[in-house]
Amino acid sequence: MYSLVSQSSSPPSLTSSSSIPSICMNKHIQINPRNQNSRKHKPFSIKCKHPICSPRIINPSVNSSDNVARKVNCLIAEFKSLKEPIDRVKTLLHYATLLPFLDESIRSEENKVPGCTAQVWLEVKMDFEGFMRFRVDSDSEITKGFASCLIWLLDGASPEEVVAVKAEDLAEMNVGILPANSRVNTWNTVLLSMQKRTIALAEQRFGDSSKSLALFTCK
Amino acid sequence: MMSSIGGAFSKILPSSSSSYSSSLSLKKPPTCFNSWALARRTSCAAAASSVASETQSLGHATRPDFPILHQEINGSKLVYLDNAATSQKPTAVLNALHNYYEAYNSNVHRGVHFLSAKATDAYELARKKVATFINAPDSREIVFTRNATEAINLVAYSWGLTNLKTGDQVVLTIAEHHSAVVPWQIVAQKTGAELKFVSLTDDEVPDMEALRKLLSKNTKLVVLHHVSNMLASVLPIEEIVLWAHDVGAKVLVDACQSVPHMVVDVQSLNADFLVASSHKMCGPTGIGFLYGKSELLAAMPPFLGGGEMIADVFLDHSTYAEPPSRFEAGTPAIGEAVGLGAAIDYLSGIGMQKIHEYEVELANYLYGSLREVPNVRIYGPAPSETVTRAALCCFNVEDIHPTDIATFLDQQHGVAIRSGHHCAQPLHRFLGINASARASLYFYNTKQDVDDFITALKDTISFFSSFK
Repeated sequence: MYSLVSQSSSPPSLTSSSSIPSICMNKHIQINPRNQNSRKHKPFSIKCKHPICSPRIINPSVNSSDNVARKVNCLIAEFKSLKEPIDRVKTLLHYATLLPFLDESIRSEENKVPGCTAQVWLEVKMDFEGFMRFRVDSDSEITKGFASCLIWLLDGASPEEVVAVKAEDLAEMNVGILPANSRVNTWNTVLLSMQKRTIALAEQRFGDSSKSLALFTCK
Repeated sequence: MMSSIGGAFSKILPSSSSSYSSSLSLKKPPTCFNSWALARRTSCAAAASSVASETQSLGHATRPDFPILHQEINGSKLVYLDNAATSQKPTAVLNALHNYYEAYNSNVHRGVHFLSAKATDAYELARKKVATFINAPDSREIVFTRNATEAINLVAYSWGLTNLKTGDQVVLTIAEHHSAVVPWQIVAQKTGAELKFVSLTDDEVPDMEALRKLLSKNTKLVVLHHVSNMLASVLPIEEIVLWAHDVGAKVLVDACQSVPHMVVDVQSLNADFLVASSHKMCGPTGIGFLYGKSELLAAMPPFLGGGEMIADVFLDHSTYAEPPSRFEAGTPAIGEAVGLGAAIDYLSGIGMQKIHEYEVELANYLYGSLREVPNVRIYGPAPSETVTRAALCCFNVEDIHPTDIATFLDQQHGVAIRSGHHCAQPLHRFLGINASARASLYFYNTKQDVDDFITALKDTISFFSSFK
């Protein structure tokens, strides 16, 4: 679970019990822990029994697009509040520790994300309701941290929500000054991989109707 | 909460207020002039032109010439240890570039007006300086290219496509830079030639015995580095050239990591082709050169077509200029050539032998210091009486990704090193690793830089270890 710190001017904080970056500094953003992911259609129970559901994710299948956008803003606000670059590194390293331990089977060639300086393995699946499920591993802790943030943003989101996230929206998460097309900008590469594979799975599942997703992919 | 996590981290990390000088900021050094006589009047030039005093290392003496080194990164003094990727530029080079564009920028070789004549003279003077720098017998054996990569591609597409056929072999080592491998893969595909790679010995140097045994009458070309950008090893080029010529093969030497750091004499080496890049030797980016023996260049067809490289152009055919113009299509990087000339002047003013001797000292200091850090694995041969390493160390720290190390070093300590595969993926694969970190020095670095790097590295390792 996580709590809202909406009024405080202090930096956002992480609760040790939550693997989700907790806090949004923007007092106008209300995040209700119970209904935060409410949709018009039926929500999933917290204890999702799907085998790939991460136990960390609450109501993974009911991310509204509004909520993904809010989460993006939340994350940006958190990183923006970290004035010292080293604090961003520390934050990312902490987030890296929150990723669940994955066995070696995820480290397959099929899952490997090309074009990264660190090795990154990304598993992308679509659950039976058509929402995206992601798991990630890396040999770099900082990369894991970035990936952890991406997972928090997008695990359980709809394909449309996944492809709608723009790389430049997350520029504030950069450690250092890394242009989007730098080979060292691994998280950008991971995001693109998540989006491309989401489109592929959506096309497989839903056919022509998902072709418009490609228009949203960040290049 | 975040503050408590931050508090926990502060207990792990030393104070970032640092033992570094906190007053460092970007300083504008005194202006340097091109003439060494004038340069002696300024502190900047005095440091550059004179022999380092007994109390002052070459690094300390030359640092004032490099404005970019005098800045802070994330609150820490910049410690630039990425010279194998690119070198920094002395004020003399910056001034030469500025002066060119301010005073006599003009297109070369064709114009009859004053500015064009002056620009042409300066461009061709730069060519002569390169020739003198590597002791090429004739400046017409120097072809200006965009960089060493383009120079290798020039040989591959011009000499290679003409001279290689099915059954021919090109011998390389697994430690070659991608720029020395990929063009030959492309040409081998087109011609049916075969690439053969020499592996490493247990000492992690290319196996010279294996290379010698690999050479045969089918070998048409040997492509190899002079100094490895990852192993720091130095190959016996003169010997290899003898072996190669014995079987009728040509030799192309990638001298990117040697020309900037030591005396390189192409006549002594007797290499057929040699390439280097300006930006690794205190010169600007955007220019490099190919040295090729006159008779080889004369027989080679053009690489790129266009203006400058022609003699006459008709609608149905064209005739081509003699080398080097034949291989310099279009308007060249004139200002950059002038800058490279200024860089050569600067380096020559210090003396390449002096630079080399100082860097051997630094190399041993770096290796010795890094070897003392626990859980660090350095690649390449250990220095000894018979083995000289270049002033660079590629290394890995157990259980910590090199990119994480490089990021922390940069963010927390202002130390710039490189992480990744250093354009040597086959070598990494052979060594069983995906990436490594690399600290590489140049003559403006000091032992203090090495000390700062080692201190920062230990702090980095301690930080990541505490996380696990």
